Amino acid sequence: MSETGTGKTEMTARVGVYLCECGPNIAGKIDLDKVMADILSESDRYRNVELVIRRYGFLCSGPGKQYLEDEIKENGLTHLVVAACSPRDHDSTFMGVCARTDLNPYLYRIVNIREQCSWVITDPEEATERAATYIRGSISRVLRQSSLFEKPLEINPDAVVIGGGAAGMEAALALSSDLRRVFLVEKSASLGGGCGITMPQEKAVIEDPNVDIYLETQMSSVIGFLGNFEIGLKSADGKDEEITAGAIILAIGSDYSDPQESGRISFSESDEVHILAEAERTLEAAGDLKLRDGTMPETIAVVHCVGREEQGYCSGVCCSSSLKLAAAIRRLSPETAVTSVYRDLCLPGADGENVLRMARESGVELIRTKGTSLSGMELDLEKMDGTSEKRSFDMIIPAAAIVPAADTVSLAEMLRIPLDEHGFFKEAHRMTDPAGTTTEGVFIAGTAHGPMSVMSSMRFARACAGQVLTRLVPGERIVPEVKVTEILEAYCTGCGNCLDVCVYGAIYADTDRGISVVNEAVCRGCGNCFASCPSGALRTRHFTNEQIFREVDEALR
Amino acid sequence: MPDFHPRIIGFLCNWCTYAAADLAGSSKLELPPEFTVIRVMCSSRIDHNLILSTFYRGADGILVAGCHPGDCHYGEGNYYARRRFALLKKVMETLDLEPERLELRWVSAAEGNRYAEVVNEFTDRIRKLGPSPIRTSTRL
Repeated sequence: MSETGTGKTEMTARVGVYLCECGPNIAGKIDLDKVMADILSESDRYRNVELVIRRYGFLCSGPGKQYLEDEIKENGLTHLVVAACSPRDHDSTFMGVCARTDLNPYLYRIVNIREQCSWVITDPEEATERAATYIRGSISRVLRQSSLFEKPLEINPDAVVIGGGAAGMEAALALSSDLRRVFLVEKSASLGGGCGITMPQEKAVIEDPNVDIYLETQMSSVIGFLGNFEIGLKSADGKDEEITAGAIILAIGSDYSDPQESGRISFSESDEVHILAEAERTLEAAGDLKLRDGTMPETIAVVHCVGREEQGYCSGVCCSSSLKLAAAIRRLSPETAVTSVYRDLCLPGADGENVLRMARESGVELIRTKGTSLSGMELDLEKMDGTSEKRSFDMIIPAAAIVPAADTVSLAEMLRIPLDEHGFFKEAHRMTDPAGTTTEGVFIAGTAHGPMSVMSSMRFARACAGQVLTRLVPGERIVPEVKVTEILEAYCTGCGNCLDVCVYGAIYADTDRGISVVNEAVCRGCGNCFASCPSGALRTRHFTNEQIFREVDEALR
Repeated sequence: MPDFHPRIIGFLCNWCTYAAADLAGSSKLELPPEFTVIRVMCSSRIDHNLILSTFYRGADGILVAGCHPGDCHYGEGNYYARRRFALLKKVMETLDLEPERLELRWVSAAEGNRYAEVVNEFTDRIRKLGPSPIRTSTRL
């Protein structure tokens, strides 16, 4: 069927196979003419297929792309195979070329004969043979591929921020500065969160006309995806409200560990033991720290690293906060003796040493111990020289570890995002997407993400806002992934295996019809559900078994 | 079997191991010509049919490689892959197919050297094992 003009144009596929020389990178090792001759010599293997096979210097260059575009148009290609480099380099380049023609970009395929042949196979003959095998696999596969059509969706550029602490307020203000509408949802009766000081953002956010503040309100439900979320809100007095937004920023903050958790620390309600955050707040509001009977304490001990061993991580910010508090107490009430009890000092960053110097200069006594236990108001200090000393104080301030907020688990389940090993929200990727999550359109800011300083919380808040501003541009539409899973309803038994394995919550049960249904806007096309389906009712577009077997068969021929 | 050239299929996850293969390529590391790479989006999409059919189509060995546990692009796909492999290996035993012909490994995008090591090691193993019993058996 290699002749044209047979009158069977509708039946005949015209597959263009273009081999890129990539300068000497490919052509220097692989005998491209031999590859072309070998493939052409057995072109009668393909029924009703006409092959156009050519080589070119650099297909990814400007003239190369123009050449390819012209070839597709002039030859009326129905399918295209480009034998060149890794799809990670130029798949999108050549898809872009297809998009300028009538050829659907999903009827094209790139074959990697550089990274997987010319660069790694030593013997030129073997490399040539491998290249031919890979190309045959792709010709065979591309004939089984189907056109896919991108369906751009309208988006809602507004955002919901969960949590009215430092990070939440900062994110809301950053979004509002671009005139986005923000729903700021706070569980407690006031803004400010747990950062211990009154942030200037608080006043700004209250006065901001673009920010709607919901106090004593929690998120109760969420459905949707990036650009189109429907969020249910429930207020403390039982009122329900539904809002719509394009993105969700989680800024729910964190809690502190229970100092008594370790067993080394025990005290009763009546003892003058106040955790660091509480003491910071009192000092900031009242200007001093008084005992319950209204008198000033003569001695105060700040105990660092309480809960660090139990949690298995250093919270990273409490040494600095503890020393700052100790210095502030000395400054505000110089008659009070303040002792800082620490094991290791963690004072990272350019300003860390200044904090230590400030504490020393203000007259804070620093005691390094191997371990400290507390019973009532008496500290048992295990000194570095092996001796131990018992000392009583009028007030004890343990620096408890930063731990996940109580709502973290329920919100993570609602939004289908994973938690890290310590129970904080897990980012999509530590380095490449630290503010994002595995659920597109859901971002994390502040200590909901893990222990961090107020300064870092601000940075994350801005990063989240930046993501929302760039991903959801008013008037622009978003194109969901098209290589997603579809369900062949006739085969689906509604067993629900696929629902259980989908981390995105992209599949739901249609109980009326007894089948599973894929929400294509949420599906990312990993194919996990496909492998879990016992009845073969799922198909992952562009990566079907049928398509993959074409590659397998050519490799094993 | 001095002239035995095994036929090996490597199903690589798009995000980690395929990128590692690219890195091995751009580092010009030597790889065996018997090894054919097939790109899939995630190791979790590898079902029993794909593995067993590939053996029945004549593969002497199959390597599946994806992101390290905890690093999956799709959250936790590789954990599912690992569980399915535990079952697959048992199925292979009942088919008189040596379970060593199937291997699941984790290779991150940064591990080009490790990728080359894994592929070369696996290819050596299959060379030693000889042709798959499915190819040589008269029973089939």
